[in-house]
Amino acid sequence: MSQTVSLSSFPAPAIELRGVSRRFADPGGRLVGVLPTSLRIATGEIHGIIGFSGAGKSTLLRIVNLLERPDAGEVIVHGEDLTRLSAAGLRRARHRIGMIFQHFNLLHNQTVADNVALPMRIAGESPARIRERVKVCLDFVGLAEKADVYPGRLSGGQKQRVAIARALAPEPHVLLADEPTSALDPRTTLDLLGVLADANRKFGVSILLVSHEMEVIRRLCHRVSVMEAGRIVEQLNIADGRIPEGSRLASWLSDFGAGPAASPSPSGRPDADSGHHFALEAAHA
Amino acid sequence: MPETTSLFDTLNELLPEILKATGETLLMMAICLSAAIVVGGALGLLVFLTSRGQSLERFRSFNLVANGLINVVRSFPFIILLVAISPFTRVIAGTSIGPLAASVPLSIAAIFYFARLIEQTLRDVPRGVIEAAEAMGASPVQIVRHVLLVEARSGLVLAVTVLAVSFLSYSAVAGVVGGGGIGDLAIRYGYYRFQTDVMLITIVLLVVLVQSIQFLGQWAARHVDKR
Repeated sequence: MSQTVSLSSFPAPAIELRGVSRRFADPGGRLVGVLPTSLRIATGEIHGIIGFSGAGKSTLLRIVNLLERPDAGEVIVHGEDLTRLSAAGLRRARHRIGMIFQHFNLLHNQTVADNVALPMRIAGESPARIRERVKVCLDFVGLAEKADVYPGRLSGGQKQRVAIARALAPEPHVLLADEPTSALDPRTTLDLLGVLADANRKFGVSILLVSHEMEVIRRLCHRVSVMEAGRIVEQLNIADGRIPEGSRLASWLSDFGAGPAASPSPSGRPDADSGHHFALEAAHA
Repeated sequence: MPETTSLFDTLNELLPEILKATGETLLMMAICLSAAIVVGGALGLLVFLTSRGQSLERFRSFNLVANGLINVVRSFPFIILLVAISPFTRVIAGTSIGPLAASVPLSIAAIFYFARLIEQTLRDVPRGVIEAAEAMGASPVQIVRHVLLVEARSGLVLAVTVLAVSFLSYSAVAGVVGGGGIGDLAIRYGYYRFQTDVMLITIVLLVVLVQSIQFLGQWAARHVDKR
């Protein structure tokens, strides 16, 4: 069992998917989703999933907190197989799995502070503890002065910051990010990647991020899984911000220019051309 | 100007009757709106939660039955419902005449009417927000309390407003079978005795009531809407 030995030298994985699959018909009747796939994300890792739309990347992400229940396979988060838990057990496990979304999904009739407090209220935390964490997390995303404002008055980037603060409030082990910057402009995207890298560094939260934007993956992630037609077809280490030559991802880049789909081109920013890598910077900090 | 004088005379003469009728109408409204909000609200909530893609989807059979029942009750013209369930009304209220008796069919109609209104209002809550709460580990009860009732609250206030206006007019229908209230007054004096001035007074009264309900409802809905 040399594999077991070699793996034990790494920290326990934050997320481990073992042979998960989930197939369903898309609106056009085509069978899509995830074919049996395994994925292991180390504690403290920022892992990206990239691919064309319909490749199954969002489905794979949503399997991690069982928003999509896999047809088969095991979903182990922080050492616990979520597929074996009762409904109440799964809810408890979800208290420690943060998630952010492309369209933020904030409550519009609640203030910023109440939005951030929501997951902790759901988890039944004490009011004193909730107040303390709301303050810490709003300070962290730089929106302490917006605590009593309603989300309708915030910009897209600010809304996503609130969503990040909300996800971090219950001190999650892992953070799932489903196209978190796809609704944002390039400059805001860069700011937000900085916030995510800081969260990873400061709170040690492992991040699994889905994006179709190559720049997002390249600037933030330590490793990337490339998905195509329901499978992970390639896994690369990109902690230095460089795409290994000869990889499928590299050939995508040469075929499509910036990436498999339109990606932000933050030209005009001084750090844009230097290949600034947030996670790498975090690792050296 | 004999016309004006006679209208005021009538008003003066009938004032005790008008006040009594208004009180009866408000009583019927209070009973049927309370029943609708409590029972109908819960029913609408359950129908929504058990619909496709929601957190209690596994109880789809409940959804199908409740949906069918709501449609059946809502297909009855109110006056037919009133007559059809009068044996049931007699069991509940001990009589089939008067405002308390009329409150029974009014409540039944209002419950199913409001259930449908609520179910449709809740559909306006974006799926993504409900999903975010599910991802946080919210139970169905917590989703109702922390998400649905919060995000849909201005729609819910407007639903109560529509309910109140509709059932003000339904309660007038109850007058046909001696239900009491403003409608009863209109039927007895305005219709049977051809007193057009009484008819006019009751209509003005109803218009004022509807305007006030609508104004209050819209003000409250705007006040709670932070979107």
